[in-house]
Amino acid sequence: MLAALVPGTVCAQGPGVTKLAGRIPQEAVPAIDSLIAAAVAESLPTEPLVQKALEGSAKGIPADRLVNGVRRGLVQLRQARVLVGRALPGQPQPEGHVAAVAAALARGLPPSIAERMLTMSADEPPAPALHAAADLVAHRFNPDSAADLLVAAHAMGLRGERLLDVAIAADQELQRGGGRMPAEALARVRAMLPNVPAPKVAVTPHGKTGS
Amino acid sequence: MTDRLDDAIELLKTPPALSVESRVMAEVRRMSAPAPRRRLFTWPRLATGLALAAGLAAMLLIPRSPQTLTPGDAEGIAQFVGQFPGARSVEVVGSFNNWSRGLLHLRDENHDGIWRAAAVLPAGQHEYMFVVDGERWVTDPLAGRFVDDGFGGGRENSVLIVRPAVQR
Repeated sequence: MLAALVPGTVCAQGPGVTKLAGRIPQEAVPAIDSLIAAAVAESLPTEPLVQKALEGSAKGIPADRLVNGVRRGLVQLRQARVLVGRALPGQPQPEGHVAAVAAALARGLPPSIAERMLTMSADEPPAPALHAAADLVAHRFNPDSAADLLVAAHAMGLRGERLLDVAIAADQELQRGGGRMPAEALARVRAMLPNVPAPKVAVTPHGKTGS
Repeated sequence: MTDRLDDAIELLKTPPALSVESRVMAEVRRMSAPAPRRRLFTWPRLATGLALAAGLAAMLLIPRSPQTLTPGDAEGIAQFVGQFPGARSVEVVGSFNNWSRGLLHLRDENHDGIWRAAAVLPAGQHEYMFVVDGERWVTDPLAGRFVDDGFGGGRENSVLIVRPAVQR
């Protein structure tokens, strides 16, 4: 799958790839095309790579760094797929799962924690759990303790965006006055499970007004 | 996309619910003071790019009302607010608009340096930055979530997680 060296065009296939036409520097086209073609060949999602290429171009990133950024994205997707395969053996590996794991890894979530979140949410979209875990780790909670909290929340029936509320509650506990330690904050949230507060301004169902 | 932008423009004509506005302004006021617990944001870096102008912003899912948008099942509404005194233009560029310039502009209706915009976005994770005066890429310090942009310059994108407006 060689790139046709028409300025700004990319030869790799995929619905998102057409977005790149005329958007990326000509000198980056062959390498980007090669990376996206590799993702296609490996049945990895291409959209994160397309977005990274668009982002780099929009920011005026030099071609070599732009390509490196896309390459890094491909590496993360490969790593993510390994994690998905390990966490969900014998099951399909939806592109959405792989992309969500890659995004969480990019945010600094340790692979072992990503794998735990995948295992925990085996029968549902894993993105909220991954986001919640990444939030907690970004806020310097111990990764294993953070994962323990989310697993406990999940066991008590919290699903989807409610797991994000758990992470928000933990951060709010940490921010409270008195110099609360992370472990204490996690313990307090764990004690309130499953009744962590929902955001005051948040999703509003039809027919209701927000607070 | 055009429909969405049109929707966003319509939304901007309608002031957000007071509670949302209050929260946004509370966040802006809070950011005007030192924020020692803000662990993923450093003032010197932003100050370098903005001089005295502080880039402040928040994204909130805002209440639905007949006057505002009606997101689909897998969509939510994100509101962007930033404080950019003296700026001539502010826009949001991110994965939700294919990192395209000129699609989602913030407005400073009151000429008070507070710029606002809103848009219906697909539920899920999005990365974005503000572009001020057409050239300065600014991380949204109030995003709360950040990720290295991967291009080796140490620049971080803000991360926005949009919740679906309609809970299943």
